Amino acid sequence: MRLPRIPLPRVRLHRAPHVLAGAYALDALGAAERARFELHLATCRTCPDEVRGFAATAAELGLAVAVTPPLALKGRVLADVAALESARAVDAEIAELLSAPDALVASAATSAGGTATVVASRRAAAMVFTSVGLPALPPASVYELWFIGAGGARPAGLVPTVSPGTRQGTTPVLAAGLSSGDAVGVTVEPAGGSAAPTTSPIVVLTLPA
Amino acid sequence: MEPIRPAPKARERGGADLDGLLTLVGRRDQAAFEGLYDRVAAPVFGLIRRVLRDSAQSEEVTQETLLEVWRTADRFDPARGAALAWVMTIAHRRAVDRVRSEAAAARREARATSAAAPVHADEVAEAVESSLEAERVNRCLDGLTELQRESITLAYYGGYSYQQVAAALGVALGTVKTRIRGGLKRLRDCLGVSW
Repeated sequence: MRLPRIPLPRVRLHRAPHVLAGAYALDALGAAERARFELHLATCRTCPDEVRGFAATAAELGLAVAVTPPLALKGRVLADVAALESARAVDAEIAELLSAPDALVASAATSAGGTATVVASRRAAAMVFTSVGLPALPPASVYELWFIGAGGARPAGLVPTVSPGTRQGTTPVLAAGLSSGDAVGVTVEPAGGSAAPTTSPIVVLTLPA
Repeated sequence: MEPIRPAPKARERGGADLDGLLTLVGRRDQAAFEGLYDRVAAPVFGLIRRVLRDSAQSEEVTQETLLEVWRTADRFDPARGAALAWVMTIAHRRAVDRVRSEAAAARREARATSAAAPVHADEVAEAVESSLEAERVNRCLDGLTELQRESITLAYYGGYSYQQVAAALGVALGTVKTRIRGGLKRLRDCLGVSW
């Protein structure tokens, strides 16, 4: 059986969202109501100013209960920000190198399994190394990258740990110091890396001339 | 006899420099971020601690808040609100989200039971640091009706939803909505907030 429809009072419907401006500014709405009020905010002429005024008022309530946090917190926050920023800077350099006009790509299967790929720019004298499917190593070992030129092999960085059981790619490694004519090699080294290779490379990537 | 002067507005009390700092932070200026930290860490931490009532959790949420400020500062538009309000909005939202997450709620419940004391609206008056700002705010809170004051402090300092406020005070939902809004208007005018 269907219940008879009861007409809703229209005026109230229009007024209703408005009255939530205060509760909204104090985060006193649940997620669904918050979302609904934000929809209303987007079309309401007077609400945004009212909400701003209330937010500024609430901030004054917050200011009134100020308590200086432990000194160590500042160091942690600033360190986090510095870390975020340097990661972002590396990402930006990687993106720049990947889109360099003279970017060269070399990719090959390794003797240990998986595929290693290098994107290099001779003009930038740098390369980015990535891999997919490299086997995970015991904690005492690490994959190390090398620039291999006429004068021998020069260290080009360590590959971040491969998590076992995944066929995921490794985080891109950016390395500067590429000379023209260099190939890029990968060896397995003791944790922490070596100054010169102590094992035979699992792959050597030769860049196109 | 000295004439009564109106309360100074937020912007006249150094709000403009804070807007400038936050704008620089939006351009990834780490020195500006440190300056901003020095200015906002105490209000942010104090507010979060007031809502969470747990120092260790409050430090975590303060850290999250300030990192969110760093990541999203480029969205700050001084034409649409003051920097302090922008930062405090993030802080309060995060504190409330933490309070409402189930695990934290259970821990808080346990503490509340052991303390055998529900959040009481006028604790605001006693625990506030003796600062001019606190005096000013308390004077304005005193100018509200009791229901307005309790609704606002339970929601803001207690992290209560308006439904919880209604239940705690034994009044109708609609009453809480209108008392919060009416009380905020009166507070805003009393504090001389310029938005």
